[in-house]
Amino acid sequence: MQASYCPLLLLLRINTLQAWRRLKSIREQSSFLWSVIAVFILGYLALSFLLFHRGLKFMGRFPGLGGLLTERLLFLLFAFLFALLLLSNLVIGYTNLFRNRETSYLLALPVSTQTIFRWKFIESTLLASWAFVFLIAPLLAAYGLTRGVPWHFYLLTLFLIGLFIVLPSVAGSWLAVSLGRYLDRRAFQLVALTLAFGGLAGAAWWFQPEPITDPMLETRVLTVLDRLLLKTRFAQFPFLPSYWLSAGVLNWSEGALASASFFVLVLLSYVLFFGFLSFTRTGGIFYEACSAVQSRGGILERWHWLRARRHNRRNFDFSPGWLESALRALSWVKSDTRALVAKDIRLFWRDTTQWGQTFVLFGLLGAYIINLRHFSHQLTNPFWVNLVAYLNLGACSLNLATLTTRFVYPQFSLEGKRLWVVGLAPLGLGRMVKAKFALASSASLCITLGLVLLSCHMLKMPGSRTLYFAAAVTVMTFALNGLAVGLGVLYPNFKEDNPSKIVSGFGGTFCLVLSFLYIAVSVVLLALGSPWSRGRSAVLGSPETAWLIFLALSLALGWLPLKVGLRRLARFEL
Amino acid sequence: MVELIDLVKRFGELTAVNGVQLAVRRGEFFALLGPNAAGKTTTIKLIAGLMKPTSGTVCVAGFDVQKQPLEARQRLAYVPDFPFLYEKLTPWEFLRFTGQLFQMAESRIQAAARELAARFNLEPYLSKPIEGLSHGTRQRVAIVSALLHDPEVFVIDEPMVGLDPQHARVVKDVLKERSLLGMTVFVSTHQLSVAEEMADRIGIMHQGRLIALGTRDDLRRQSGAAGALEKVFLALTAQDPEGAVEKAPRA
Repeated sequence: MQASYCPLLLLLRINTLQAWRRLKSIREQSSFLWSVIAVFILGYLALSFLLFHRGLKFMGRFPGLGGLLTERLLFLLFAFLFALLLLSNLVIGYTNLFRNRETSYLLALPVSTQTIFRWKFIESTLLASWAFVFLIAPLLAAYGLTRGVPWHFYLLTLFLIGLFIVLPSVAGSWLAVSLGRYLDRRAFQLVALTLAFGGLAGAAWWFQPEPITDPMLETRVLTVLDRLLLKTRFAQFPFLPSYWLSAGVLNWSEGALASASFFVLVLLSYVLFFGFLSFTRTGGIFYEACSAVQSRGGILERWHWLRARRHNRRNFDFSPGWLESALRALSWVKSDTRALVAKDIRLFWRDTTQWGQTFVLFGLLGAYIINLRHFSHQLTNPFWVNLVAYLNLGACSLNLATLTTRFVYPQFSLEGKRLWVVGLAPLGLGRMVKAKFALASSASLCITLGLVLLSCHMLKMPGSRTLYFAAAVTVMTFALNGLAVGLGVLYPNFKEDNPSKIVSGFGGTFCLVLSFLYIAVSVVLLALGSPWSRGRSAVLGSPETAWLIFLALSLALGWLPLKVGLRRLARFEL
Repeated sequence: MVELIDLVKRFGELTAVNGVQLAVRRGEFFALLGPNAAGKTTTIKLIAGLMKPTSGTVCVAGFDVQKQPLEARQRLAYVPDFPFLYEKLTPWEFLRFTGQLFQMAESRIQAAARELAARFNLEPYLSKPIEGLSHGTRQRVAIVSALLHDPEVFVIDEPMVGLDPQHARVVKDVLKERSLLGMTVFVSTHQLSVAEEMADRIGIMHQGRLIALGTRDDLRRQSGAAGALEKVFLALTAQDPEGAVEKAPRA
């Protein structure tokens, strides 16, 4: 006897059930974990609402300009969010369609490829877009409150956002399928690279800083503002989906319901058209792409000169590689420790998600610090110079804290999984942990110290202050790495292979919270203990007191967990 | 039931499956053997329709896997070496879901699940989350879910991975019984004992080619080695596949 079930509904039901149970399991894991998550979520919503509300009110106070600035801000925000959503959908869509075990499982079942694509499309859209709604909710609430809009504004906005997220998702999934299908084609690679570099060069040229002098700021404010706003006009290009969303929201808030309805209908028609195409015409291409992804030898296979080069390479050479040769320079380090360090460096380098995130996080911070030179006119007051320097120190440490929690904390758990290799070697677990601490600290110190020195240089700080910040960031780098390594040993998780899952447990959350608290307290202590702000250091008696507290805190949070962790290793059982 | 016609699959410069020609009959227990990287898993993936062949055709129960995929998959069951299971579901929820994807009526799902769960000793685990189950129990859940819709063709990659001797016996018995009832079983394995004990015919793949095919006695004759299947296998896979293919009869 045959029944008639809709496979898409079955997949939706089963995956909703899975998601619900996953959510429930967070509560069962540890009350500390979900309390921290709840505090962070509510804290973000409250704080961002407060900031947006104040910011919008502040902007509204500019006579004749307030409305224009708020309007442009919304257009810009949605334009950039559209670009980010597109990128997010592309990355998540590609992984979800072609690097997902559920997809392979479903492909062998009597489920059409169109249905599989539909389900994966829905899943990717939700995964890529939930954060977007979460991020902009406080802004839209603050905007509505500032404008005193009626209740139906919020409902319409919610509906419009629901429509809006479909378009970058459709575009992202099509790009992902095209990438899967044609990535090994030389023409596709050349066009994609040209477009990417062209886009970057265009953005760099368009957004290059305007030379604005103090007299111009004092006498010709409107001209300067006009020049700045001209740079943001692209956000009001009428064929951008973000334009339809912004225009719909703005018109509705102003009571221009007919104009707003027009934009709602434009958005709706595009969503229906492209959504229909995606839901009915992509299954076949998706299967072709799936097969292509699994079938290719490598994405550079079609470059004949590369293939020829590979063929011409001599036979496998068993002699040490350049990394081993370079590490030999550290003659005081034992050879087994050097082997462990070489292995860790290789694993980090070959896991693109690891250095990719590091590169993005610190790259953005570096780009911001380098651009500080354009504010040399504004940063003449010592108060602002100091404030920016401390903020830079805080930002640098916060970046480092996310990385130590994400990458250093799970190291011991991952090594425990490979215990038969490293754990049973004569090296011993204690030395292994110490080697990991030394490697993580020295590697991250190169970045944090470099960024802080660059920040001081851009802010034209004297040598003594540069030394002060360099010493501070060095201590913080060692403390944050010690905390991550120590807690990693104290709260191991040998069941998981995936570092991100190890981090999401109790120990990882605890590590992140402690790191953030340590940074907040340290930056305040250092600011109070600054020898150049005598008045404020009086709070703590003297700058030396502040530094002593800072050092004691760093020892307590950095050295102590590491020490306890190493002691625990002596009676460690797997 | 399973027909591979001049099947070729290339991954860039590497030819993983090279002109394989094979027909497995209804109710036949077929074992595919071969050293690592011989092309067994790729062949199985092509049968399951997980990827497109570079050239050639795969037919399951008379349906071209590429041209009539839904008809073929409706009659096929595929268990990979590391099967995917929904971690947060219980085995019973997973079995019911699989049955529903195969459009089985609720009463039929329940009857089949009850019988197979008892046979594979899964009853104590039916209401426990899959994420907490051992590797062997998960493998049993995957096999039961694949057998649930009473497939015409059962394709399994390394069936005994993680199974204790007791449950390995159960799997062997159930598959043999089903094959006697008409289900075609296509097994890829490194365990020569499984092939020796269970298979009606054995195929040996080496470097993408099917270098030998037939009953145990046929293989002994082809290899010239007497005795256990291990000796036959080692003798055949030690040869150059280009030369050995001449010895393999067309199926």
